[in-house]
Amino acid sequence: MTRANARVLRFCRVVSQILFLALFIILLVSASRMFFYFDPLLGLLNFLATGEVMTLFLLSLIPLGLTLVFGRFFCGWVCPLGTLHQFFTWLGIRGKKKKIEPVPRKALRVKYVVLIVLVVMTLMGTHLGGWLDPLSLLTRSTAVSLAPAGNHGLNQALKAGAEDEGVAAKVVKPAYNLARRHIMTAEQRGFAQSVMVGLILILILGLNLWRRRFYCNTICPLGALYGLVARFSFMRLKTREGCKACNLCASHCTYAGGPFDDYRKADCLVCFNCAVDCPHDSVALDFTPPFSTAKRTPLDLGRRRVLGGVAAGLLAGALPAVGPRARQKTHGFIRPPGAVKEKDFLEKCVRCGQCMQVCPTNVIQPAALETGIDGLWTPVMRPDLGYCEYECNRCTLACPTLALEPLEMDEKKEFKIGTAVIDRNRCYTYADGYNCAVCEEHCPVPDKAIRFREVELWNFEGRLVKVKQIYVVPDLCVGCGICQNVCPRSDAPAILVTAEEEQREFSYY
Amino acid sequence: MKRRDFFKTTLAASTALSIAPMLRGNTPAPAPAAVIGGGNDPHAVTLAVIAAMGGMKKFVSKGDVVMLKPNIGWNRRVEQAACTNPEVLRALAESALNAGAKKVIVMDRPCHKPEDTYLRSGIGPMARELGLELRHTDDNRLVLHDFKGKYLEKWPVYRDFLEVDKFINVPILKHHGSAELTIAMKNLYGILGGRRGKLHRNMGGNIADLANGFTSHLVVVDAWRILLRNGPVGGRLSDVAVKKTVIASTNILEADVLAADLFGRVPAEIPFISAGKELGMGRIDPAAIPVKRLTA
Repeated sequence: MTRANARVLRFCRVVSQILFLALFIILLVSASRMFFYFDPLLGLLNFLATGEVMTLFLLSLIPLGLTLVFGRFFCGWVCPLGTLHQFFTWLGIRGKKKKIEPVPRKALRVKYVVLIVLVVMTLMGTHLGGWLDPLSLLTRSTAVSLAPAGNHGLNQALKAGAEDEGVAAKVVKPAYNLARRHIMTAEQRGFAQSVMVGLILILILGLNLWRRRFYCNTICPLGALYGLVARFSFMRLKTREGCKACNLCASHCTYAGGPFDDYRKADCLVCFNCAVDCPHDSVALDFTPPFSTAKRTPLDLGRRRVLGGVAAGLLAGALPAVGPRARQKTHGFIRPPGAVKEKDFLEKCVRCGQCMQVCPTNVIQPAALETGIDGLWTPVMRPDLGYCEYECNRCTLACPTLALEPLEMDEKKEFKIGTAVIDRNRCYTYADGYNCAVCEEHCPVPDKAIRFREVELWNFEGRLVKVKQIYVVPDLCVGCGICQNVCPRSDAPAILVTAEEEQREFSYY
Repeated sequence: MKRRDFFKTTLAASTALSIAPMLRGNTPAPAPAAVIGGGNDPHAVTLAVIAAMGGMKKFVSKGDVVMLKPNIGWNRRVEQAACTNPEVLRALAESALNAGAKKVIVMDRPCHKPEDTYLRSGIGPMARELGLELRHTDDNRLVLHDFKGKYLEKWPVYRDFLEVDKFINVPILKHHGSAELTIAMKNLYGILGGRRGKLHRNMGGNIADLANGFTSHLVVVDAWRILLRNGPVGGRLSDVAVKKTVIASTNILEADVLAADLFGRVPAEIPFISAGKELGMGRIDPAAIPVKRLTA
């Protein structure tokens, strides 16, 4: 093809990347789950974990089928995280004499081992695909780190506009008011794992400045899955007559194969940088029937690596099940409304953080280690940080894999996620002997699951006084946690929601 | 105003008022201390009540920035009677604008998520429809305000509430577990930042100090639907009574006394009302307050 044509194709590719990134953000903001269903990695792992095909995931056969025609177009044209990687690689390459090096050839096969490990671990009952799947990773990073950080950044930049006097205040005020009204949340959101999740995103994006599209080439299990299919694809790039063997086609190639030397269909992201770089118009599209063995690139994986990956996956996948949870009879965390049985929950949840994104009160937080090391970034309820809004079922409608089952509003209101327990050593109405009842006031259950009765007790001054003493009606309590959230004690709340009497079955079997 | 000054002024004024008619021989209709209006449309009743209070021009001057402070505390619908009726607010906003107000601001610090409560209460949509300025509280704008009370001294307040020319307090009448009732005085919790739950100790005294240390230029109590039980958040329609009443007064304590009376409680038994009496904020015998009653 001519360079002019190649430029058109590259332009189309960039437009497609921007549009799909925009679409991803729009779907994220509107709490839609649709993007996830076009992810064959999540579809495959969900099937292996649950033994059932979730119908919506059949949509992921569309990009998978197209990959059989066009190769890894998803990575080059669609994937929103890939677009960010491409952007950072481009930033590093643009206008510089010293180009960013490609990843070493041998590193390209690491991603297949990653995929093998994830698949085998899933078969062993530990589904961690969401840790590395690009859509889950980007959704989680946006929800937990990027969006709150953006809000905070706007506030830091414009908060002079909150003042009424001074030149700075006058200048910034319109922008501040605009941002407060249309962009920023009324209250700053915060997440328990914001630093860790954010640093991981910074790290993997930063790695692009060291090696081109590092994550996509070496780690991404979705890229690996597409790569396995792309090996058999119909379309490939090749050089034709006129090629002077200058290898300039590799100079902006994401894996520096280029159609001239060491071309690999499994790693080509059909970005068309090679065709733009070729001074001799010698890069051309080539079509061979799918599955033809003639031009298939070697996978370069080797039996030992496959077997090593399987062995590692078998062991790693079994380890969480033989941790304390094999023996433990209690658990110190609560899950959002609609959560399925814990075993199924861990197998379905892809740690995407969509539920955290849609939760208006910030009560849904990514777990650190409290639910087990394999439960990292699964959603837990943290009533010290937020509360479950009684008139809200947004998280239950946002979960792409139905780890949180959809609940109608009336079902959600009665869905018991835990029970409030009073710490009588701390509650003012027990320990100190004076009235408080902030928890009672906030309890949203129409009959009040938190009530008070007048009792006589010895107060902190040693006097016998009448106090409106708080008590919980466990059968009415739904575990929303607003009581814990508003308890006025400064050290730690005197009323806590625990997993006691939670409605869902809690079992690891 | 110091308490001593207040008593002196009150004494002087009441003496003057009681002597003046004797001197002039004929009695002009005294402006009522409070108006209680009933009817079938909260908007119309509110307008009538304001007219009977002497018209909004008596309270709002041309060019004033006016703050309407409703109770938007909870993520509840108007039928659940946890937030101020938007139609009462609509009537007040319209009359303030007609009286020449430069700007009408609607604002509260809710207990539930602000975005949710503004929307579900119907107050947000009403304010947008009328082009009022709907604000969320902003912790960048907190200042320490001295309420100079016995229980409540310095506490962070959102500057927006202090800066306006006229502050119109528009609570809803509700049952409240720890305060017993929540009306206009308790509604001022919404101007406070920080951890308001701390003020639940000695709540009556705190509420009285709060209302005594901050001026409400006009108080309009929405008693259209009132929450009888399980307040302040409620939720169950069977806990709601339709009273179809709007009460207005310039004295915040007396507005609360009349509302408590309407609720069926003896005002003197409500801790924050008796605490208000001790501060000399007004009369707590509902029969002693000259009220004009009307039906619109």
